[in-house]
Amino acid sequence: MDSLILILGWVGLYAPLALGAIGSMIGCVRAGSAACGALLEVESGYGRYIGVAAMPSSQTIYGIVVTMALRRELTLENSPGIFGLGLLAGLALLFGAIAQGDSCAASINVSKSKLDIFGISLAPAALVEGFCVFAFVFALVLAAGIPK
Amino acid sequence: MAEPYIMLVSSLPYLPPFEQAERSPITRLRLEQRLHNLDTDDARQLAEAEALVSWRMSLAKPKTDAEMVLRSRAAMQHISQPALREFIEFRIDQQVILAGLRQRNAGADASALEPITAASRWVRYMTAHWEDPTFKLTAIYPWIAQAHRYLDSNNAGALDSLMMHVIWQRLGRITENNRFGFEAVFAFVFKWDILQAWLARDAAQAKSRFQDLIKEIKNDS
Repeated sequence: MDSLILILGWVGLYAPLALGAIGSMIGCVRAGSAACGALLEVESGYGRYIGVAAMPSSQTIYGIVVTMALRRELTLENSPGIFGLGLLAGLALLFGAIAQGDSCAASINVSKSKLDIFGISLAPAALVEGFCVFAFVFALVLAAGIPK
Repeated sequence: MAEPYIMLVSSLPYLPPFEQAERSPITRLRLEQRLHNLDTDDARQLAEAEALVSWRMSLAKPKTDAEMVLRSRAAMQHISQPALREFIEFRIDQQVILAGLRQRNAGADASALEPITAASRWVRYMTAHWEDPTFKLTAIYPWIAQAHRYLDSNNAGALDSLMMHVIWQRLGRITENNRFGFEAVFAFVFKWDILQAWLARDAAQAKSRFQDLIKEIKNDS
């Protein structure tokens, strides 16, 4: 039983980074695919689309920071807390990155034919980023309360 | 992956409402090139659907109603995409209803629809309500009343335009369900087809007007 608790602690420790990275991969592929398609249709501003396609990579960075904040010697006292916090933060980053990838893909798709809505069409992606930041910040705040 | 055609859909241009379009935003050749990204089976299903219910059928039109029914039934056996099947059924229903309205306008009785009984689930219902101006189908197909009026007034142009609008709206709703899926791709192809037909219709009018002007000039000189 003790081993299981410690294993869960390790899972929770690495979950924010691993899940955040998985989400970023999926999100970047979706947004990147849309960007590649749009490149066939537009004559200029290629960098703009590729830049937007990279937006879902921020969740991996948040995941790295949360994993670093949770990093400590794992004990039976702190492992359950690390598991709960790490897993939930990781899931939030995973789904956040996928949702942001979809938002970016939609934004790229609509703005290729109407450039003046490029900025406003990114608003949903920015909102998703905001939610990921909430999950990230509060993971850091709560991580401070887990016994060393 | 629920949305397998993100790149393909993003590579397609925006299609303006067909009445506002001044030119086609993409040529058939370029569209075909983009459609190469379709999965083989999806591409086959789309080609079969196009041959069956596109506004300008690419294959030779069937000579008889019975032939059309046979062809549609054969094609439907090979089409497995639910949204595409639904759209084909919608288009066939639309054509059957128009056929019924035209037959009745020409003075035919309900038996005129016999050869196409197998084409649509509504044929028997239409036969049963032959005397009703809209076959009592307005709750399901609200455009029938307007189509009936256009047919009565021999306004073929307005009828065409109405039908195009109905299909266009339907395709718009299909796209909303899955913006980057096969639904969005086939909706684009059928919308593009309508837009081409609309532009060609305008071109024909322009040609006719041009010929009238030539005649006028010749008569003057």
